[in-house]
Amino acid sequence: MEALTGALRGIVAAIGLSALLFVGANRLFDLIVERWRLFLGLLGALTGAVFFAVLVGNRLLDGSGRIWVGAGALLFAVMATAPDLVRDRRLRPVAGGVVGAGIGLLLAKAVDASVRPSVSMAGIALAVGIALAVYLPIAFKQGRVRPGGVLASAAFGWVAGTWLFGEVGGGSATSMVVSVTVPMVLVGSALGAGGLRQRAQRFDLQRQTRVGAFLGPALFFVVLGLIVPLARTIYLSLYDSKGREWVGFRNYGEILTNDRSVDLADWANIFTSRLFIGGMGLLAIGAAVGLWSGRRRGRVIEPATGSVVPVLVGATLLVFAVFSSLRGTVINNLWWVVVVTMVSTGLGLAAAVLADRARFESVAKSLIFLPMAISFVGAGIIWRFMYIARPPQKPQTGVLNAVWVGLGKLAPGTAGQAVSLVFLALVTAGLAGLCLFGVRRRQTGIALGSALSAFPVLYLAYRLLGPGLGGVEEGPLGLPIGKPILFVQEGPFNNLWLMLVLIWIQTGFAMVILSAAIKAVPGDLIDAARVDGANDRQVFFRVTMPTIVPTIAVIVTTLIVLVMKVFDIVRVMTNGNFGTQVIANEMWQRTFTEFNLGLGSALAAVLFLGVVPAMAVNVRRMQRVKV
Amino acid sequence: MTVTATTTATPRQSTTTRARSSGRPDRFVYGLLRSIPTWLLWILVMLWTVPTGSLLLNSFRTRDAQRSSGWWVSFTEGGWTLDNYGDVLSSSRQTGGLAQALLNSFAIAIPATVIPIAIAAMAAYAFAWIPFRGREVLFVATVSLLALPNQVALLPLLQLFAGGAHWTVPGSGTVVTLFPDLDLAGTPTAVWLTHTAFAMPFAIFLLHNYISSLPKELFEAARIDGADHFTIFWRLVLPLSVPALAAFTIFQFLWTWNDYLIAITMIGANGANYPATIKIASMAGEFGLREHVLSAGAFVQAGIPMLVFFALQRYFVRGLLAGSVKS
Repeated sequence: MEALTGALRGIVAAIGLSALLFVGANRLFDLIVERWRLFLGLLGALTGAVFFAVLVGNRLLDGSGRIWVGAGALLFAVMATAPDLVRDRRLRPVAGGVVGAGIGLLLAKAVDASVRPSVSMAGIALAVGIALAVYLPIAFKQGRVRPGGVLASAAFGWVAGTWLFGEVGGGSATSMVVSVTVPMVLVGSALGAGGLRQRAQRFDLQRQTRVGAFLGPALFFVVLGLIVPLARTIYLSLYDSKGREWVGFRNYGEILTNDRSVDLADWANIFTSRLFIGGMGLLAIGAAVGLWSGRRRGRVIEPATGSVVPVLVGATLLVFAVFSSLRGTVINNLWWVVVVTMVSTGLGLAAAVLADRARFESVAKSLIFLPMAISFVGAGIIWRFMYIARPPQKPQTGVLNAVWVGLGKLAPGTAGQAVSLVFLALVTAGLAGLCLFGVRRRQTGIALGSALSAFPVLYLAYRLLGPGLGGVEEGPLGLPIGKPILFVQEGPFNNLWLMLVLIWIQTGFAMVILSAAIKAVPGDLIDAARVDGANDRQVFFRVTMPTIVPTIAVIVTTLIVLVMKVFDIVRVMTNGNFGTQVIANEMWQRTFTEFNLGLGSALAAVLFLGVVPAMAVNVRRMQRVKV
Repeated sequence: MTVTATTTATPRQSTTTRARSSGRPDRFVYGLLRSIPTWLLWILVMLWTVPTGSLLLNSFRTRDAQRSSGWWVSFTEGGWTLDNYGDVLSSSRQTGGLAQALLNSFAIAIPATVIPIAIAAMAAYAFAWIPFRGREVLFVATVSLLALPNQVALLPLLQLFAGGAHWTVPGSGTVVTLFPDLDLAGTPTAVWLTHTAFAMPFAIFLLHNYISSLPKELFEAARIDGADHFTIFWRLVLPLSVPALAAFTIFQFLWTWNDYLIAITMIGANGANYPATIKIASMAGEFGLREHVLSAGAFVQAGIPMLVFFALQRYFVRGLLAGSVKS
């Protein structure tokens, strides 16, 4: 309860403070046009308070912090408003300078002796020169060199010069006057020389400050929370594990050459694996079907279910062949990206097409979409229950192994075998009848489709009669006993079972967006195609698909970015053991359990490099939308 | 038999004329074929529902039942109980603690939702309706950070929260504090501050898409009436943008409620501040001892986002679409 009230108080305070800051800033900028002097005073007071708070915070002033902050606010308010009170224009910089000198002397006296810098006039001259060299070209380019700007940049250079080139702590009281009072005089006269007398100028300023008030908080978080940390991560990745010694690109070299991250030793196995041969076979079938039906329609290649599906499945098998032979963290990550992106998009498209205008469409879509609401951790736990593997003698408690071992119970010589053989025979007969129907009605699609679907059925029958279906092995007494799959532990395909969790989550995402895109295809276009005699397949592949290709591209880039940094699922399910490590989890372990800052940052930087292409694509897309 | 409208209403013309004599069986076969998409869809739906359903059913089973058999056995043999939920929400050190973790989750998710949305709405308004130099470039640069992986910022942010930022002046050894040490490591504040930063690009993108599509005449009329940007934003833009704000709120709430990475990094070993995700993940880590309450815990953690999701699905989908396929 105490924690709750504490948290609530924190929340209310944070939100209230932010709102106050925003409204306050806007009210402050409201004063610019009509009540210029009040605005200057308030701004000066704020600046002074912050400036003195920083000094007090760094323990550079003796005495009570509150008094110093109050005094600072008052002094700066006077410095900001004093020149404006003077009638004569030429005297204004002088007035500002005088007040500045006063504050400067006070500061020189008050600041702690330990930070007094020794004065190096050459250094100061150099720094002032650099500051002016930066300011003047910019001012020339804008067409106006302001005396205030010159004075202010000189002050900035002076301060930088004293502290960068002087020996801090080695100075005297006099040197302190030189290093503090002079820049304060410069700042004061700059304020005097500036000053926006014309209303138009004030309107301009008000608009600029308004942009600042609206954008400031967001930019603060973006810069401090994203950009600066990104720069620091890249910087740290070039240093050793403690972040002290420069090691160049050694951390990156370590990632690329380490066996655990990239292991290409078994590359030759790719070409002899069954996955490769099967994948190539399916690609050939898809190409053949596409060419054949394309020739019939006078095109080079015809996209249709018969050509697209084998090509997609074949490509997936090839990907599996490559990634199950090459191993390692980086390879795993690429495998994740390719498989999850492909399968989620494909399944999402299939679900969107199947659900389009089906009965209870919204119910079906909600149920497929539901996993999107579940955390990756929760999903990992849910699938852990699905994947449980228990010793063969005990009943399986996980759904998947229960099914698998249940199928194994249909081994030769059991009653289950007879029943399922009869079932398969009936299915085959039905398919044969359908095939005959297709041949008689000259419907090649139906005939071919049913003939092809007969193959897996016959394969199942063969498994059932021969080596057995599902998880089974011969027990000690010659009786068949169940043999569960170790989904999580058995490599390299345990990676796939982990990917299934993310596919389960992301398919709904792809489906929802593609479903909307399909519904947005103009009805006239489809009607026109139908009038021209296009059938469903042609409408889908020649009208719908080309229209939704941009949407698919958006989904693919979004998924690539998301999958690249997959972390929670792997951490909860295997924590990178059993050959399932991915870059994000490796990065977390190196950084936060081993405190190898260099290597961890390099791994994070690798992740960043991985998404740079997606970033570039996004930027290009945004620019196109703008135009 | 289900007939979907996915396929055309009539089979090909030539076939009908040729098979005039056997109309009945034809219709039967074609109907059967036409229902295939529906069957496939519902098979997919079933496959997609089984995992969550298994978890739900398991969470209502006794420890012994969970350990010895699958949930389908309980339909015939019983073994149902509500105790798991009581145990996991209790303050028992062995099996409980989730109630506290849920509170911690709220303490993170609420500010991590409210604050970014306020800040991003302001920025989105500025990007959409206040002209200034470099606006396009700044907008594209901010939004391009959408794809930035959180991992690149975690270590520097943790260092910032745990020790501030300091700069040693070269040559002199003086240390200048650039950012004070706020000692935030291990607190929910560090988590939601981080969430706020990471949410910025997407929030600005989503809200900008919406706010920039509001009619221009509206703003011109308001300007003529003498309203300044602050008034326009407060009186006009915010009330009109409720759909977009709602969409982002749901998103951000689900995202922060379900987050694990940022919480485990920022909270570290401070177990008292663990949100629900870390709690259930650590329960899963020690399989055996608390195995029987894990499913109940996971379901409670997932229950809140699922409620939000079902109640506000329309807004959620709308936000998703606005965020992905805006043209």
